[in-house]
Amino acid sequence: MNTQSAVRTTAEQHRAHVIFDWLAIPIIVLLFMGIFSFHFALTVGDWDYWVDWRDRRWWPLVTPLSLLVLPGVFGYLLWEKFRIPVAGTLSILCLAAASWISRTLNFELFAGFPMNMVWPSTYVGLGLLLDCTLLLTRSFFWTGFIGGFLFGLLIYPLNWPLLAPFHVPVEYNGTLVTVADLQGYQYIRTAMPEYVRIIEESTLRTFGEAVTPLTAVFAAFIAILNYWFWVWIGYLGAKAIWIRKVV
Amino acid sequence: MKQQIDAWRKPYLRLILCILPLLTADIALAHGERAQQPGLRMRTVHWVDLEVFPNQLKVGEELTIRGKFIPSKYWPEHMASIEDTAFLNVGVPGPAFLRIDSRVNGVPMIRSTAFQVGKLYEYEMTLRARTAGRYHVHPVISVQDAGPIIGNGLWVEVLPGSGAFSAPVQTLLGETIDLETYGLANVLGWSALWFALGLAWFGYWLTKCPIIIPRFRRVQELGPERADEILTPADRRAGALFFTVTFLLITGGYFWAEERWPITTPLQTGKIETPPRELDNEHVQVRVLDARYRIPGRSFRLELEVTNRGDEAIRVAEFTTATVRFLNAQLLNEMPRDSHDLVAPDSLRVEGGAIPPGATRTLVVFAEDALWETQRLTTLIYDPDSRFAGLLHFIDTRGRRTLVEIGGPMIPRFT
Repeated sequence: MNTQSAVRTTAEQHRAHVIFDWLAIPIIVLLFMGIFSFHFALTVGDWDYWVDWRDRRWWPLVTPLSLLVLPGVFGYLLWEKFRIPVAGTLSILCLAAASWISRTLNFELFAGFPMNMVWPSTYVGLGLLLDCTLLLTRSFFWTGFIGGFLFGLLIYPLNWPLLAPFHVPVEYNGTLVTVADLQGYQYIRTAMPEYVRIIEESTLRTFGEAVTPLTAVFAAFIAILNYWFWVWIGYLGAKAIWIRKVV
Repeated sequence: MKQQIDAWRKPYLRLILCILPLLTADIALAHGERAQQPGLRMRTVHWVDLEVFPNQLKVGEELTIRGKFIPSKYWPEHMASIEDTAFLNVGVPGPAFLRIDSRVNGVPMIRSTAFQVGKLYEYEMTLRARTAGRYHVHPVISVQDAGPIIGNGLWVEVLPGSGAFSAPVQTLLGETIDLETYGLANVLGWSALWFALGLAWFGYWLTKCPIIIPRFRRVQELGPERADEILTPADRRAGALFFTVTFLLITGGYFWAEERWPITTPLQTGKIETPPRELDNEHVQVRVLDARYRIPGRSFRLELEVTNRGDEAIRVAEFTTATVRFLNAQLLNEMPRDSHDLVAPDSLRVEGGAIPPGATRTLVVFAEDALWETQRLTTLIYDPDSRFAGLLHFIDTRGRRTLVEIGGPMIPRFT
């Protein structure tokens, strides 16, 4: 058996490492696209599918809970093993790409919904804030405290430039609705009656008009704990013996 | 034999075997209405007088669906009630139509509502054809925590129209928008901007390629205490720059949107009240004495005690249950309007004749048709609660109709 290495020079080693990157990174990207879009569809689903589900109370609260899973788990792995702060941005970019492909093929071309009713929200900015905080603080504690807080806090303002036109009021058949509500009414979804939407309803616990900032701050605090939890899961995952053997 | 098995192992034969079922598969046209338990279909909502017109139209033209429904007094207690939260919907394959208007007893059905059992509701929906095709159009009532209850349907053919489809709407701010395209360019622009910024960040780290193996080795060599030495001042400057740009873009975008769309409202929801109408049937009282379904003959036999307190003689013209109409041909000469109209002409036999004013008579009614089988209503005998409900249509000598709901236990006969 010939045990001599195929890599004999530094240049050859460099080339081998580049080839490894070019093989591994696309696979990681495809895996992130598949895992994240599947996970997001199961946990957030309709809140991200339909413009008339993105309310002030539930959507900004539920979304960061689900959205922080991959940035937390893989953020730990990529930072501890490689010191590369890209898990948040990369995983969310992959989610965004998969979402746009899915909405175009499944919702627009196959089911016939107009794209302006089923566009995916944007979350890339949240991933950037998380990654940059990790790079600048070099601490998971402070990344959770600052980056996690901003992650939950800014989900609504980040999407408001996209969402605001769909909250313009319309009077329709004597009823006040938003443009998004009207889309939900006019474009028939047989399996989705109006009451199915889990959106904000008036309660005595609502502080006047301050629903959005209150939800944002609450989501921000939850996001801190959520980020730390998923980083801990990443820590447990990175301890797995099989990873050491493979790498 | 072995050669035959080997032949089937060839890839092209396996490919044919995989594709063959797809080629021979029939198109799914129904909405699963026959899949629900017959007892539930019989005892939830009674649908009458369905009209769908025109049955052929072009894209952009309007379609009307009109009829009446009566929530059953025999509504199963274990099911969430229609008296809590319900919504009038349309059973069509996706947004092939735009719902322009929908009303029950004159009240717009944009939001959810509640319907009372034993009351009469008249519905009317106006749809605008959006996509060419042939569609089976049903009214549907969705009941929260129970599911959809599908009414009877009729076929509609939508032909291609001339010109592009649009859905113009005027906002409360006076702007006329097209719901087909409104806001999409803005969404695409912002999404592309964020995508580009994210790619720039990822691209920055890709410039250090090769990264995976060299950085892993270097981090291992440095150990956890000194691993941060792998990061350069340029990395930190890039991090600070991207953090600042991202934060400014989010806050700037928010204030830009507040300036651009200063008047917005939260998503609207909540229940509305729909006033019910009375059935106006106090002058006819019906008591079910016996109800048996004979399986071999597909025959439902009802023994009824009917009291007529009106001023005209009455006769049974129709029995409706689970959207199937069993007609007495002596009084009604209707035929199915299309291949899937659930009308059984000449399927209702009534022994006992007319009931004169002020009289009480015992009638024996037979509803006999293959629709019991084809609509899977015979599986009622396998339901955990073998009870039925249906709507009797009485017609008096002046042609006036009285609707009376009946229901009770049903006993099967196997011979």
